[in-house]
Amino acid sequence: MNIGLVAVRNLGRNKLRTVLTMVGVSVAIVTFILLRTVLSAWTVAADHAAKDRVGTRHKVSFIMTLPKRYLQEIREIPGVKSAAGANWFGGKDPKHDSEFFASFAVDPKQYLEVYDEIVVPEDQRESWFGNRQGAVVGDALAKKLGWKVGDRVTLLGTIFPGDWEFVISGIYTASRKSVDRSSFMFHYDYFNDSPQAAAANARDQIGWVVSRIDDPGRAAEISQAIDARFDERDIQTLSMSERAMNTSFIGMISAVLKAVDAVSLVILAIMVLILGNTVAMGVRERTHEYGVLRAIGFLPKHLAVFVLGEAVAVSVAGGVLGIMIAYPFVQEGVGRYLEENMGAFFPFFRIDPVTVVWAMVLAALLGVVAAALPAYNASRLNVIDALRRVG
Amino acid sequence: MLIPLSYNVRSLFVRKATTIATALGIGLVVFVLSSALMLGQGIKNTLVSNGSDGRAIVLRRGSDTEMASGIDSNVVSLLMAAPGVKKDAQGQPIGTADVVIVAALDKVGEAGHVSNILVRGVQSGVMRVRPEVRVIEGRPARPGTDEVIVGRGIRGRFKGTELGSSFDLKKNRSVTVVGVFESGGSSFESEVWADIDTVRTSFGRGSSSSSVTVLLESPAAYDSFAAYVENDKQLGLEPSKESVYYDKQSEGTSLFITSLGAIIAFFFSVGAMIGAMITMYGAVAQRSKEVGTLRALGFSRGAVLLSFLFESSVLALIGGIIGGLASMGMTAVEFSMMNFATWQEISFSFDPSPAIIFGSIAAGGVMGVLGGFFPAVRAARLSPIEAMRG
Repeated sequence: MNIGLVAVRNLGRNKLRTVLTMVGVSVAIVTFILLRTVLSAWTVAADHAAKDRVGTRHKVSFIMTLPKRYLQEIREIPGVKSAAGANWFGGKDPKHDSEFFASFAVDPKQYLEVYDEIVVPEDQRESWFGNRQGAVVGDALAKKLGWKVGDRVTLLGTIFPGDWEFVISGIYTASRKSVDRSSFMFHYDYFNDSPQAAAANARDQIGWVVSRIDDPGRAAEISQAIDARFDERDIQTLSMSERAMNTSFIGMISAVLKAVDAVSLVILAIMVLILGNTVAMGVRERTHEYGVLRAIGFLPKHLAVFVLGEAVAVSVAGGVLGIMIAYPFVQEGVGRYLEENMGAFFPFFRIDPVTVVWAMVLAALLGVVAAALPAYNASRLNVIDALRRVG
Repeated sequence: MLIPLSYNVRSLFVRKATTIATALGIGLVVFVLSSALMLGQGIKNTLVSNGSDGRAIVLRRGSDTEMASGIDSNVVSLLMAAPGVKKDAQGQPIGTADVVIVAALDKVGEAGHVSNILVRGVQSGVMRVRPEVRVIEGRPARPGTDEVIVGRGIRGRFKGTELGSSFDLKKNRSVTVVGVFESGGSSFESEVWADIDTVRTSFGRGSSSSSVTVLLESPAAYDSFAAYVENDKQLGLEPSKESVYYDKQSEGTSLFITSLGAIIAFFFSVGAMIGAMITMYGAVAQRSKEVGTLRALGFSRGAVLLSFLFESSVLALIGGIIGGLASMGMTAVEFSMMNFATWQEISFSFDPSPAIIFGSIAAGGVMGVLGGFFPAVRAARLSPIEAMRG
C-alpha cells in the first residue's frame, strides 16, 4: 500500500466532511465554468467572424445612412468579390412588445451570397426571392414567436412608423456559431418603395454594406481602399473587417467582461478557503497520530504527502463532479435559454473545452495551494509535542 | 436558560484559522453581492436622474429611444402651446427640442478603440428646461456656433474632448470644446452638447428634431398635456413623463447587471454556506464533550441549538461586515459600459445605500444561519452521557 493511497483512504474517516467539501468544490467549479462560458460566449462572435468580409458604414455614426450608389462603387474596388447592403428596420412584433430582435431590409440574393453561412432550404429560398413581402427569420426567433413558413405577420415599425405586413417565406439556420439565429430579414425593394421610407428621407439609402473579399489577408488594405474612394465625398465611410467590428463591440462592454473575469477568480479564492479550512481541521485533529507516525519512522515529507494527497484527491473529485453538473446545466439549461431568448447577445452559449481543462487543472492546483500551509505545519511537527497533544 | 453568548464568541477565537477562513469566504460573497447591487443602483441613478416628474418628453409614436424618433419642426411650436406647459415671465412657454445622434470617437489610452458617444444638439433655451445642468469649467457654448460643451463623465476620455481641444463631427466640420458641465450624476454627463443647427447641418437632419422636452406647470399638469398630445392622432406623437421615460431606458442595462450579480451571488452563497457548514460540523465534533457537559449542567436541547446557531451567525456576520465594508471601497471605481438602450457608452459609479450594505451583510448572516443549522441540530441531539464519555 503506497503513501498516496493511504492519503486518499484518510478521506473516508470523516465522510460527511469529505462529501461537503466535494460539494463545495463542485459548486465553485460549476460557477467558474458558467462565468468563463459567459466570457467565451461574448467573444465567440469575434473569434468566429468571417475573415473574408469587410463591413462599411457611415464614418460618423452607425445610425446615419449611405447613398445607395456606394454599393455599386464598392463592388468595383479591386479585391471585392461581392457586396450587399442592408438597412436597419427596427421592427417589433406588436403581440410580443418586449421581445427585441434585429430586423433589416436586404437584397435577398446579394445578401445570401455574402453571408453563405445563413442556410435557407432551397425551396424557401426561391419563394423568398419571388415574393416582395417575403421575409426569412432565424429558427430561434421563429420558435420564440411561434412563426411558421407561410404565416402572415405584422410588424410595428419603430423608426418607420406604421404596420408592416410580411409573409414568412423561410426559416434559416446557421452553419457558423457567430450568426444570430433570431434576425428578421426582408426585401429592400419593399422597404425602399414604402411611403415611410420616403417620409424619413431614407429612400435609396443603405445602412451599411458588407463585402466579400478574395483574400482574407488583405482585409485591412481593402478597407482602406474603400474609405479612400469616398474620402472626398460629402459622406465618408468607415470600413473594417467583420472581426475588427465585433471586437470593437466587445470593447464597449469590456468593463463588464473584466468584472466577470475578476469574479470568476473570486470564486476560486472562496474554494481555496473552504478546502484549506477542511484540510486544516483534519491536520489539527490528527496531530497526535502524526506524532505516532513520526515516532515509528515516517519522515516529515511523508506527512506532507498525506496532507497534500488528501487535499488534491478531494478537490479533483469535486472538480470532476462539478464538470459533470456543469455540462447538462449549461448546455441544456442556461445555454439553450440564452440562445433562444438573447440570441442577439449570445448566439452561441456553450462550454468551451478549454474551460473544462482549465477547471480541472485549477482544481488540482488549488488543492495543492489550500493544503500547502497545513502540510508544511504537519511536516514541522515536533514529535514530542505532537504525542503530548490529546484529541 | 440560554448558554452565555461569550462562550460562542470565545470559541470562535480559539479556532482562529478556521474562523478567519470561513468568515473570509462569506465576506467575499457579501462583497460580490453588495458590489453588484451597488452597480445596478448606480446605473439606475445615473439614467433615472435625467428624468423629472416636472418635465414631459415627446417622441414619435412607437419609438423607444430618442435616436429612433423624429419630429417635424412645425410640430414643435404646437407642442409648446399645449396646455400644462409652464410659461416664463414674458408668457413664453419653456421647452426645448433636441436632436440626438451617436458619433464614434477614438478612446484615449486604448489605441484603435472607438466607442459611441451621444451628441445632443440643443437649443439656446435648454438650460431653462434643465436647470440642474451647470457649466463647471470653461463657459457655456455660444448659440449658433461650432462650440460645444462636454459632460464631465467623458471629458478627456475620448480624443478631442478635453477643454479647449476639438474633434470632427464630420470631415472638415470640427467643433471646439469650450466648457465642461455636470448634471447631478445623470447620463447627460456622458454626452456632448452642441448647437442644434450645427448637428442638423452636419448630419443632414433637415429641420427635424429627435425629441421635445417641456417644463410642466406642475407634475399634475402632465395629464392635460398628455391628453392634448395624444388626442391629435395626426401628430403621431407619444408623450411620457420624463422620469418614466428614463426609467425605461435604464431597465435593460440595470436588470442585466443586477441579475448577473444575483445569479453569481446565489452560486457563491451556496459555496459559502457549505464552508460554514463544514466549520460548524467541525466545531460540534471537536466540542462534543463540552456540549455533553453543558447538557449535563441542565441546559436544554433548545439552548444548545440556539447557541450553535448564534455562533455560526456571528461567524458569518464577521465575514459579512468585512465584505460589506470592502465593497464600500468600490465607490472609488468608475465603471464605463454601453447602455443597451442607446448603444452609447456611459460611465457609471457604484452607488452604495444603507439598504444595499446592510442587506448584503444580513444576507451573509442568513448564510451563517442556514449553514449552521444542521450542525446545530446535531449538537442539540447529542446524548450527554455518550458525549462526555468521548
